[in-house]
Amino acid sequence: MARLANLETEYPVLDSTVRNFCASHGIFSVEDFLIHDLYMLAAFAEQNNSSERLKEGIAQVLSIIDDMHQPWLNGMELLEDAKRNKHVFPTGIQGIDLLLGGGIRVGQLTELVGPSSSGKTQVCLRTASNVARNHLVLYLDTGNSFSPQRIAYFLGKTINPSSAQAKNQFLQKVMSNISCHSVFDIFAMFDVLHQLESYLRCQDGRGDCQMRLLIVDSISSLISPVLGSSSTQGRALMTSAGYLLKKLAHQHNLAVLIINHTVGGEGGYSKPALGDSWKCIPHSRLFLSCDRGSNNYNVSILRHPSMASGKAARFVI
Amino acid sequence: MEIWRLPISASQRGKLISAGYTSLSSLSSISSSDLARELNVSESEAMNILKVASHSRGSETSNASCSIVEGAQSAWDMLHDEESLMHITTSSADLDNILGGGIHCKEVTEIGGVPGIGKTQLGIQIAVNVQIPNDFGGLGGNSIYIDTEGSFMVERAFQIAEACIEDMSEYNRFLRKDFQECKIKMQPQDILENIFYFRICSYTEQIALINYLDKFLSEHKDVKVIVVDSVTFHFRQDFDDMALRTRVLSGMALKLMNLAKRFSLAVVLLNQVTTKHTEASFQLALALGDSWSHTCTNRIVLYWNGNERYAYIDKSPSLRSA
Repeated sequence: MARLANLETEYPVLDSTVRNFCASHGIFSVEDFLIHDLYMLAAFAEQNNSSERLKEGIAQVLSIIDDMHQPWLNGMELLEDAKRNKHVFPTGIQGIDLLLGGGIRVGQLTELVGPSSSGKTQVCLRTASNVARNHLVLYLDTGNSFSPQRIAYFLGKTINPSSAQAKNQFLQKVMSNISCHSVFDIFAMFDVLHQLESYLRCQDGRGDCQMRLLIVDSISSLISPVLGSSSTQGRALMTSAGYLLKKLAHQHNLAVLIINHTVGGEGGYSKPALGDSWKCIPHSRLFLSCDRGSNNYNVSILRHPSMASGKAARFVI
Repeated sequence: MEIWRLPISASQRGKLISAGYTSLSSLSSISSSDLARELNVSESEAMNILKVASHSRGSETSNASCSIVEGAQSAWDMLHDEESLMHITTSSADLDNILGGGIHCKEVTEIGGVPGIGKTQLGIQIAVNVQIPNDFGGLGGNSIYIDTEGSFMVERAFQIAEACIEDMSEYNRFLRKDFQECKIKMQPQDILENIFYFRICSYTEQIALINYLDKFLSEHKDVKVIVVDSVTFHFRQDFDDMALRTRVLSGMALKLMNLAKRFSLAVVLLNQVTTKHTEASFQLALALGDSWSHTCTNRIVLYWNGNERYAYIDKSPSLRSA
C-alpha cells in the first residue's frame, strides 16, 4: 500500500489537487482509503470545484485496491486442487501414519508438541528421510540438532544392502535432496522464508524434483526471545510467521512441519508453549510424550481438521 | 504489513507507519533526505533504515543457483563434515563411550547434577583436555572458562594439567618409541595460559559477556570450547519477572548456539538440579524449568547410585539413552 504521492508517477490522475483533497480528510495512502467512508468522500468530492478530477482519482485508487486481493475460487476449483495437489506424505513411522490416516498432509501446517526428549526431532528426521526419496526437503534448525548420521541410519534400514557402493550412491542421492540451514533469530527466519518464496515461484513452472517438505525445528526457540515484552511486536511477529508458513504451504503445495515446546500449566500438566494466540494457527497439532526409560512413545491428537481429537497411539522409533 | 519484518527500533517503526510507509515497496523509490524530512529523524538514521529495507528486499529477488536458500547445506555434505569433526575427551572412558567419543563440537551440551558430584571438576578437565595436541588425539585448541560461582580453583587446575601431561607422556612411551621428549614441550603453565577465564557477578554481566564473545572469538580463532560454570546461578534467585527471565535465557541460548555453529566449537554448560514433583514421586530435574531444557542440544545428568557416580543421557539427537 503506497503513499499517494509516490503513485503519481504511475497514475497521473492522482495529481496534487486530488492529493490535497484527500489530505484534508486525513488520507495519505491507499490503505487509509479503506478505512474511510467512501460515500461521504464522494459526496464531498461532488461539492468541490474540480469534482470530475476528484472522482477520477477516487475511481483510480479503487481499481488499484481491486487488483490487490486474491482471486475468488469456487468449491469445484478447490476440490480439483485438493485432488491433484494436496497429497499425504507418510512419515515412515507406522503408529503415526495409522493415527493420521496416511501421514502429514500437503498444504497444511502440522505442529509437534512435547516435553523435552520426547522424540520430536526424531520424528522430523524420520519424515525428512522418507520424503527425501522423491522430493526436496528444507530443514531449518535452531538448536544444531540436525543429525545426518540419524538420517543415514534411517535410510540404511529401509534398503537391502546389495553392495556398499550402491548403498553409498543411494545415500548420496537421497541425502542431497535434504538441505539444512541454521537460523538463530526470527528475522533470519523471515529472510529465509522470503528467499524460499521466490525460489518456489520459479519452481512451480518446472516439472522435475520439487520441494515438498519444510521443517522448522523449533519455532518456539525463535519466538520466545521476542514474545511477552511490553510491546506487541512479539505477538505480531509470531502471527505473521504463522500466516507466512500457511501461505507457503497452500500456494506452493508444501507440507510444513513445526516443532513446539511445552511449559508448565496449572496443576502441573504441561501445555504447549507460545500461548493461546498461537493455538489456532497450525492446522493440526500432535502431542508427543515418552515413557521414561523405554523406547515407547505416545502420540495423541490435539487438533486436526479431519480426525477426532483425543485419539492416541503408540510408536517406536 | 511488511515493515514488521525489519529489525529496526520500535520508535522508528512507529514513525514509519504513522507517515504512511507500511510496505517495503513504498520505501524503494524515496531518497534518504526526503525520508529524513518526513519522519523527523536524522539523515544517518534514514540511511540506515533504507539500507536495512533494501537488504531484505535484495534477498527476495536473488535466485540461489544450487541451494534453495543461501547458506543451506545438503545433508550429504554435512554427513561428511561430521565425520571429520573431533570430539573432546572427558578422561573418563565410560562417559566417553556413552557420548560417542566425547563432547561434540558445534553443539551445546548441558551437564547437570547434585552439588558435590564433580561438575566443576569435569568442567576444568574439559578445559584442559581440549588443549591436547592433535598428535595425541585432541583438538589442540584454547578454552574459555566462564565462572559464575567462584568455584574455579587454580591449584586444582594445575594438578589436572600436570596429570594430563603425565598421561600424554605415558601414552607416548607406549606407542611411539622414537618420537620422544621433543613432543612433550607442553608444561603445565602453558596449559593454564591457554584457558581464558572470566568471572561474572550478575546476570547482566553474563548477557554482556555472551554478546562480547562474538568479537572475542573472531580475534582468538583457536578457542575450541566454552565452559560456563553454572549458567543458572544468577537466574535462580531474585528474578521477579518470570517472562523476562524466559526471554533473556532463550535469547542467550540462541546466541550460544550461533557461536557454536559459526566457530565450530563446543559449548559446555553446567547446571544445578531441583526436585520435580511428578505423579507422587520426587524426581531430580535440571534447574530453570522446561523452557530451558529445550534450548540445548544434549543433556547429561550426573547422579549418585550408592557410592558411585552415574551419568545418564537425557536428550540427544544422535545418541541413544544410556
